[in-house]
Amino acid sequence: MTNLYQSILLILPEIVVSSVLIILVLSDLIFHKDKRVIPFIAGLGIIVTGAFVINQFGITGFAFQTSSQTVRNYGMMAIDSFGVFFKLIVTASSLLILFFSHASNEIQKTKDRLGEYYALIFGMILGMFFMISATDMILIYLSMEMMSLSSYVLAGFTKLRDRSSEASLKYLIYGAVSSGLMLFGISIVYGMTGSTNLYVINSLIQAPQINLFALSFAIVLIFAGIGYKISSAPFHFWTPDVYEGAPITITAFLSVASKAAGFALLIRFIKTTFVSYIDSNGSWTLINVFDWKPILIGISILTMTLGNFSALWQDNLKRMLAYSSIAHAGYLLLGLVVFSNQGLIAILIYFIVYLLMNLGAFLIVMLVANKTGSEEIDDYNGLGYTSPLLAVSFAIFLISLTGLPPTAGFIGKLYLFIALVDAKMIFVAVIALLNSVVSLYYYIRVLKHMYLVKPTESTATVVPSLNNRILVLALAAPVLIFGIYFAPIVDLAKNCLVILGL
Amino acid sequence: MKIDLILFFLLAGIAVVTSILVITRRNAIISAVFLVLNFFALAGLYLLLNAQFISVVQIIVYAGAIMVLFLFVLMLLRTDNESPILSDKRPLKYFAILISVFVFVQIAYLLFAGKPSRNITPDEAASINSGTIQAIGKELYTNYIIPFEVAGFLLLAATIGALVLAKKKFE
Amino acid sequence: MSSVPMEYYLILSAFMFIVGVTGVLIRRNAIVVFMCIELMLNSANLSLVTFSSYLGNPIGQIFVFFVMTVAAAEAAVGLAIIIAIFRNKLTVNIDEINIFKW
Repeated sequence: MTNLYQSILLILPEIVVSSVLIILVLSDLIFHKDKRVIPFIAGLGIIVTGAFVINQFGITGFAFQTSSQTVRNYGMMAIDSFGVFFKLIVTASSLLILFFSHASNEIQKTKDRLGEYYALIFGMILGMFFMISATDMILIYLSMEMMSLSSYVLAGFTKLRDRSSEASLKYLIYGAVSSGLMLFGISIVYGMTGSTNLYVINSLIQAPQINLFALSFAIVLIFAGIGYKISSAPFHFWTPDVYEGAPITITAFLSVASKAAGFALLIRFIKTTFVSYIDSNGSWTLINVFDWKPILIGISILTMTLGNFSALWQDNLKRMLAYSSIAHAGYLLLGLVVFSNQGLIAILIYFIVYLLMNLGAFLIVMLVANKTGSEEIDDYNGLGYTSPLLAVSFAIFLISLTGLPPTAGFIGKLYLFIALVDAKMIFVAVIALLNSVVSLYYYIRVLKHMYLVKPTESTATVVPSLNNRILVLALAAPVLIFGIYFAPIVDLAKNCLVILGL
Repeated sequence: MKIDLILFFLLAGIAVVTSILVITRRNAIISAVFLVLNFFALAGLYLLLNAQFISVVQIIVYAGAIMVLFLFVLMLLRTDNESPILSDKRPLKYFAILISVFVFVQIAYLLFAGKPSRNITPDEAASINSGTIQAIGKELYTNYIIPFEVAGFLLLAATIGALVLAKKKFE
Repeated sequence: MSSVPMEYYLILSAFMFIVGVTGVLIRRNAIVVFMCIELMLNSANLSLVTFSSYLGNPIGQIFVFFVMTVAAAEAAVGLAIIIAIFRNKLTVNIDEINIFKW
């Protein structure tokens, strides 16, 4: 381990996150009388983390190289701009979630446990950071479990409500089963190659004596583990119930950050393990051992269709947004199906947009739920008259989620469709387009309740505080701005394509 | 027949029988006890595979700590016996079993028909050396130091989580 | 060791894995479902140790070490969640926990 010092320099953001986690645990003990200071420590921690992540831009390298045996120079973690991008997404959403938590009645009611709440959020962030840059299956498994364990607890955090602890149990059982399946898959891959490092596996599975049937079986099992994290089709059953039962802040966090980490892991896993080379056009050539393309196309079409059609009859907005986030996982998978840098750019752009619009939608749902205590669609009757700011911003977020201009959601979808059309997958693009049309129905239904149904006597008037108004505007404004002036996010995405390869 | 083959079949037999008993006994406590027995059989198999360290940890951690936790919770909650496993939702459960048998046959075929890996020649000396506490400790604290640290934070997060959920005082 | 073919171990591991999956599918007591998940993890451990020992490299055994850590953490969190549910509902039967639509 001559390179320990260098490796530590490469994982500074992770070190900051883990230090903040420990500081939070300690300060929870020190300030146990008055816990108002803890959110500030957490916020400061996130900002410092973000600074370290940004500082890493442009640096590439392997951290923690294994020096044993035959293979050298491939590390446990790869630090590259692709990873930095996803870490930024996670950091940004965590910062917003901290603001949300501050505004949420649900969370503020559990004042005594705030220290644990923030510590567990940092546990999740740490897990996600390692998931994003891990290139060794041991680290992948551990970081996934780290994130999952923290999120199981957070999903059941408001444990007095039945729904919350049930959501937690359901999440836990599904999660444990899927990680068990993944582990069995990993063990088969290890047996076939004698290594857990993705780069070594990449070079070994090209050998002719590999048993393709066993390898495919193992890969399907591993996909079960990752697919569960991104809630793609056959493994999405937990999503609606967990999203509905968990506190809204955690639901929002799961739907953005945890999905981002899952996608980063999936992309890195496929790219480093199964891609043999990238030609000058930026399209990836897969090693001829496992045909990802038809499988991923099938899964993504299934995911978005199931998500969109199930969302049609939901009266609970949290549940509806859960199905909509399943559908969005389907759209995002389409970017991967293309297997080219162009598709990757589309995914990255989509993630920036998705972060803004999805968190924004959850914020409005939370502010209304703060007042009314529920998320039923009838609570939104006449919101356009009683509280115009919330209604207008909600309309912006929902239109953006549908993917209509002039919002940022349109730009995200546009780049995805262009990538699909360029790869001559018109048929898939048409299905995705039809899906967007279906999704229009349930998003517009909310608008109808907000504007066309007059408020009755009993409907509560929601008046957000000044801070919350600023927060709403801070999310709604970029959605509109990036819908018209989208060059910056495209440039950012284009600069973040480096996935450390062979 | 060599002694290790006999030992393998003995331990594997115990593992097979106890694992089936775990999922078919109606009383959860009896299931748990059979699971402990299953873990002991596995520990024996690990010894046969020259994995001394893992074998010891299996008994200390799995049988000694995790299963005691399970038994403790079972006794604490005093759950009733389940109705006979196959009485309700019968078709669904038969379907589950059918699928499982099918998948097992597939895996077994997969393992026999095509060797799962490169032609591995058993390298007795290397495997004896790689299973010792010394070899594993050396790897853990050099090449695998970062997963080791992550595992530490994972345990910290789990501790906080378990505390949050199980503590009663907050209400 | 050399007289037991590697496939024997792997088939035992596959068998235990399948039994674990079946248990998860057919049992209704949440704690027993958990024990079946432990069975799945253990079968994966067995195949990891088998490969590790036949390949003569220690990575598999190190992996098993970490899996045990995770299993312990997961059991602690899982049982805490089950206790939290039991306090609300006085049951651990996953059919009676009504929001569950499996």
